[in-house]
Amino acid sequence: MTQVLVIARNTFREIMRNRILYGLIVVAVLLIAMSLALGQLTFAEQSRITVDFGFAAIHLSSVILAIFVGSTLVSREIEKKTIMTLLVRPISRTQFVIGKSLGLLAVILISIALLAMVLAGILLLMNLRPNMAFFVGLYGICLEATVLLCVTLFFGTFASSMLAVSFALGVFLIGHWLESLSYFAERSHNKAFILVERITRAIFPNLEYFNWRALFIYGDPVRYGDVVWVTVYCLAWSALLISVSAMILAKRDLG
Amino acid sequence: MPILKVAQLEKSYRMGFIPKLHKVLHGVTFELPERSITGFLGGNGAGKTTTIKCLLGLAYPDSGSVRFFNNEELSEDVKKRIGFLPERPYFYEYLTGLEFLEFYGQLSTRLKRNDLRQKSENLLKRVDLWHARDKKLKEYSKGMLQKIGVAQALIHDPELVILDEPMSGLDPDGRFYLAEVIRETAREGRCVFFSSHLLNDAEALCERLVIMKSGVVTYEGGLEPFLAKMGEAAIIRYLANGHEENRRVETDAALQAEIKKLLNEGAHIVDVKKDRNLEQAFIKHGLRGGGS
Repeated sequence: MTQVLVIARNTFREIMRNRILYGLIVVAVLLIAMSLALGQLTFAEQSRITVDFGFAAIHLSSVILAIFVGSTLVSREIEKKTIMTLLVRPISRTQFVIGKSLGLLAVILISIALLAMVLAGILLLMNLRPNMAFFVGLYGICLEATVLLCVTLFFGTFASSMLAVSFALGVFLIGHWLESLSYFAERSHNKAFILVERITRAIFPNLEYFNWRALFIYGDPVRYGDVVWVTVYCLAWSALLISVSAMILAKRDLG
Repeated sequence: MPILKVAQLEKSYRMGFIPKLHKVLHGVTFELPERSITGFLGGNGAGKTTTIKCLLGLAYPDSGSVRFFNNEELSEDVKKRIGFLPERPYFYEYLTGLEFLEFYGQLSTRLKRNDLRQKSENLLKRVDLWHARDKKLKEYSKGMLQKIGVAQALIHDPELVILDEPMSGLDPDGRFYLAEVIRETAREGRCVFFSSHLLNDAEALCERLVIMKSGVVTYEGGLEPFLAKMGEAAIIRYLANGHEENRRVETDAALQAEIKKLLNEGAHIVDVKKDRNLEQAFIKHGLRGGGS
């Protein structure tokens, strides 16, 4: 466990010292601030636009971090051969993969927390008090980022950084598109299309499950049973992807 | 008891657009005794780096066995006793020298924070990088990176230190300094195994040699016996009538006779050197070049 934490800490330090992270956070903060201005353009929907835009900025920044930084986590260690000096230490390839993921996850969670504070500040200025639905919305973003990070890490164990980004973006798009796909499949009589829909649902994570961003603005009740179930769904996908990544890495000749 | 015993190591890679099996190691076998400096020599493509990767579990051999210390297989406990510097190392350039050593120390030892800090600082002084302890590695020169690379291989006091081309790309000053660190490491009772294609450095440092060509160990043994295969030729340097001259003799008997003759002629013998070195021995034994 100590080894995992040492790797996680080093990964955290690596990302925190990367200027791109701060650029991304600044852009996200600007987007959230812009939501305030955009809200002014409407008469009745000001708070809705601000919340939507704010959540979208946080969501987008977490996805970019998970995919673009996640793609380099393992592949860059292999390309630059830094992995060779690590794996000759008393550390297994599984510990290495888990440590790298935890390091990036910590950065993502901190950036989400920072941006959430900015959004909450703006909402308070608009006399909107963040309630439990607000935090559940943020929690969903954290869960989605976790799954996307594991997806990208998985691709990074056998593909280059560029390919890993492309594949992960593909999973991101399909993951959000699954609900629509099912909607059309239910109304379709084409057996091939229905089969494709079933296979797609089986092999891709449904990222819309994590979308609780509308609860806050519409004042819908939080269904805690769903939150627990989706948390388990996220953990199951993450565990599966991390395990497969570790297995792929364990079989690879390095260097 | 050998500190490392490698037997019949074989390794193939799939290469090319239509993957074709390419055998790189053909039954590599050798041993490393305790407290020795062994040079692992051979040209580019001879299979040195692949062998080292197989020893350390970075690549999986097709067959053969690798045993460390008391006939143990590579395990987490065994890894704690091995230090390694890879060829052309790229390190975490966002870390400072001190952070870098502490990071590797945390991975390999159970030292407390303060003890690890002390140990890292001592090691930085030893490799002459104390002045750069707070500099990020991206600001280090190649020689400095090579030195910090050796330091990370030593941070956990390993019994076996494996260095892959540690002298590669270094200037003469850097090579001299690194050679001193390697000698000092061996004097502390550790076994140093380093690969190189720089024969002069290997000759100056090694007691033993493992030489590879085309994925096969072609020589394993002492440096002296290998050089002795070059024959007994020697060069006598002497002063005659105020001029310095050289004379080459082919056998030991001829050397004795020539010295006697020169002294009788009133010449002043300056020195006598065996006319052999590792470079010549490599050429004579057809060991230049790595692959077949």
